Amino acid sequence: MIITKKKDFKELMGNIRNYRSFFLIGCSECASLCGTGNEEAIRDMTEALKAEGKEVTGGFVPKTGCQVLGTKKELKAFKDELGRTDCILVMSCGAGTQTAVELFEDKAVYPANDSLFLGNMTRFQMFDERCSLCGQCILDKTGGICPVTTCPKGLLNGPCGGMQDGHCEVSPDIPCAWVRIYERMKKLDKLQELCETVVEAKDWSQGQKPRALSTREKKEKTRS
Amino acid sequence: MSFREALESEKFVVTAEVGPPKGTDIDEMIHHIELLKGKVDAVNFTDNQSAVMRMNSLAGCKIALEHGVEPILQMTCRDRNRIGLQSDLLGAYALGVKNVLCMTGDHVSAGDHKGAKSVYDLESVQLLRVVDALNNGKDMSGNDLKGSTDFFQGAVVTPEANPLEPQLIKFEKKVKAGARFFQTQAIYDIEKFREFMNHARKFPVKILAGLVVLKSAGMAKFLNNFVPGIVVPEELIEELKAAGKEKALDTGLDICARHIKQLKEEGICDGVHIMAIGMEDRVPEILERAGLL
Ligand code: SF4
Ligand code: SF4
Repeated sequence: MIITKKKDFKELMGNIRNYRSFFLIGCSECASLCGTGNEEAIRDMTEALKAEGKEVTGGFVPKTGCQVLGTKKELKAFKDELGRTDCILVMSCGAGTQTAVELFEDKAVYPANDSLFLGNMTRFQMFDERCSLCGQCILDKTGGICPVTTCPKGLLNGPCGGMQDGHCEVSPDIPCAWVRIYERMKKLDKLQELCETVVEAKDWSQGQKPRALSTREKKEKTRS
Repeated sequence: MSFREALESEKFVVTAEVGPPKGTDIDEMIHHIELLKGKVDAVNFTDNQSAVMRMNSLAGCKIALEHGVEPILQMTCRDRNRIGLQSDLLGAYALGVKNVLCMTGDHVSAGDHKGAKSVYDLESVQLLRVVDALNNGKDMSGNDLKGSTDFFQGAVVTPEANPLEPQLIKFEKKVKAGARFFQTQAIYDIEKFREFMNHARKFPVKILAGLVVLKSAGMAKFLNNFVPGIVVPEELIEELKAAGKEKALDTGLDICARHIKQLKEEGICDGVHIMAIGMEDRVPEILERAGLL
């Protein structure tokens, strides 16, 4: 899921200082799990804005904020509230914010959150990054542990000389990705394979931004 | 005799290391190059070591050539993508550089430009393969080169890495990727190094043991605590302590010379790589004490 963090409230107030009335849009998926775009977050934001003398015309948590057509349909019920609003504050990720931008061409749309990374939730509201969507997955060669993401250097063929007692040279809080890969491959009895595979340099053109994909008519088409 | 010929002729080879200056004043670097001239087989020029921005390695290599010293170009993958790396390799070869040491490079967080974007488009194993391709007249994409390189390419290995096994796997990959010589991270325990060499000897590569002079017991403890892959045994720390503050450096030089002597006499490895770190001017003295001059 997409991990988001609330923007510092003072910074946010600075960004929206020129607007008076707000409509809040959350998201029931990732932003709810992150606690940044669920009902409770909308309630808290409403109160905080009111305390700053702002007006809040309404708020809504769509099912999936990055799903443009679905969100458009759901927001139809709030036509009046949205009409009385001069700024939409989006409390999901940057993708959700840009759904609102697409739907409300003539209204100011501001993000309430910072979007951080694609993360796994390890405990309640604790997240870590394991995949950086590189466009060419090599987990098949690394025992299912991603060095592109979990090694700060993104090394593809083994640990660097900075590894110390299984920890990363960048920080003792980071376990060395390549020691983890080694240990897992050992458990799977695949050390021979690990030793024999030289992973080729990545083809970064696969991750060229902006990416788009259509799987309509079962025909996969990526922009290249 | 060139560095490559020396290694191939089974001579016990000595290399040293010079860090290019932070700035454009090259007087001290030239002084160190002149001091090492005729005493070592080649000199490494570091590539923004510890991610601290300095003059590039290639300029150091070129200046060494002008002063009659054979250079080893250190190349890390931290600051250049595959286009930059290949282009610099072609340029280096055209300027007369024949040896290249392929490394991953310390992370930017260790250096003095912490906000820099790390590149690591390639890493050491892949860079070795690229050098191999350039030697065979092709670039990384398979395009023909007008004039190929003929580099003697090497890599690094950490014999005291903990855990060691992942490091040995990478060592093997580097050999397969075309590394012909290795310069190791600093070693201090000759018996443990001998064990590493028993493994390394199974491969057709030359190994130079990395040596760093211990200046004091404090420095030894610092290396143990803060530098990955370096282990200074307790007896050496005791030896430095016993020597007292005044004599500690002298003892450190002795230890280094003693290790060189033992490595050579017992034929443990193919040579040594002395990383003087600010004491380049003492390298000839170490070699004298080791009986190599
Ligand atoms: S290699 Fe890593 S970053 Fe790339 S797709 Fe697979 S998990 Fe994600
Ligand atoms: S110590 Fe391990 S995780 Fe850290 S940069 Fe080196 S190889 Fe990557």
